[in-house]
Amino acid sequence: MKLPLEGLKQEVFSIRSEETDTKYGRFPKERSIEERMNYGFILLDKPAGIRSKTAAHIAKKVMDSFAVKKIGYSGTLED
Amino acid sequence: MHLHNEVGEQLLRDTFNKFIGKIMQLPPVRSHVKRQYRQREIYYSEILEIEGKDVLFKVGVESGTYIRKLIHDIGQDLGVGAHMTELRRTKVSTLSEKDSMVTLQDLDDAVYLYRNDGDKRLLEKCLGNIESAIDFLPKIFVSDGAVDPVCHGSPLAIPGVVKLTEFQKDETAAIMSLKGELIALGKTVLSSDEIKSFKKGVAVKTDSVIMNTGTYPTYKKIN
Repeated sequence: MKLPLEGLKQEVFSIRSEETDTKYGRFPKERSIEERMNYGFILLDKPAGIRSKTAAHIAKKVMDSFAVKKIGYSGTLED
Repeated sequence: MHLHNEVGEQLLRDTFNKFIGKIMQLPPVRSHVKRQYRQREIYYSEILEIEGKDVLFKVGVESGTYIRKLIHDIGQDLGVGAHMTELRRTKVSTLSEKDSMVTLQDLDDAVYLYRNDGDKRLLEKCLGNIESAIDFLPKIFVSDGAVDPVCHGSPLAIPGVVKLTEFQKDETAAIMSLKGELIALGKTVLSSDEIKSFKKGVAVKTDSVIMNTGTYPTYKKIN
């Protein structure tokens, strides 16, 4: 019982080989918590009865001490 | 699902099986889309529990399927009527509730542990990388020099493309750096095969930029 996108594997085709300079940017695996605060993703288990927007707002308030700039949500059920 | 009258189990199961595959559905009165019949696909549906008039089931559907309406339609087909009592999303695109899903309480605890005890293990589990949200999108990897222009909203030209997955024209795609960081989302102007064969031209139009400007140096500084 699988959805069409579940377990999706995409093949990557290389046009040319090129190295990336480690001076700039960061590999996603090496990102610190502070960096992920403004460049991250939470899979939230929203309790029933509150709006998604409220849940996102609470999550932002919880993480306020990390200077979270923006928070948004996706995946609306029912409308 | 709550049935409005008792129904035999076999009839219930047969009716559920009728609602697999392509179905026609009329959006509810209060909806954000035009009220006209539209086709939606039900990939699977399985009854987990039956207790009197209450039925617990699992269903995999195409995006834009109204579950409240699906239950109503099943109730009509059974001849007794039914309504939805509870709904929970367990999977979407490449994500599932089996992945590390966090509650607001978990998040609060994790922040507390990190702030007060310096224990970052729990917070690290809660807070994933932004890239896990776009696993399902086709991707285009660009050279370091092309990152900064894209960060400023410039469309991506073919010479900047290093690697790519398969996609069609006019699809939403993710523009990634060679390190695998998400830079921006955009609409593809050409299909992946066309990009492979062409030398020049615009490949993707940038829609929304995620990465901060200044993460990578300007084009002039690299060359």
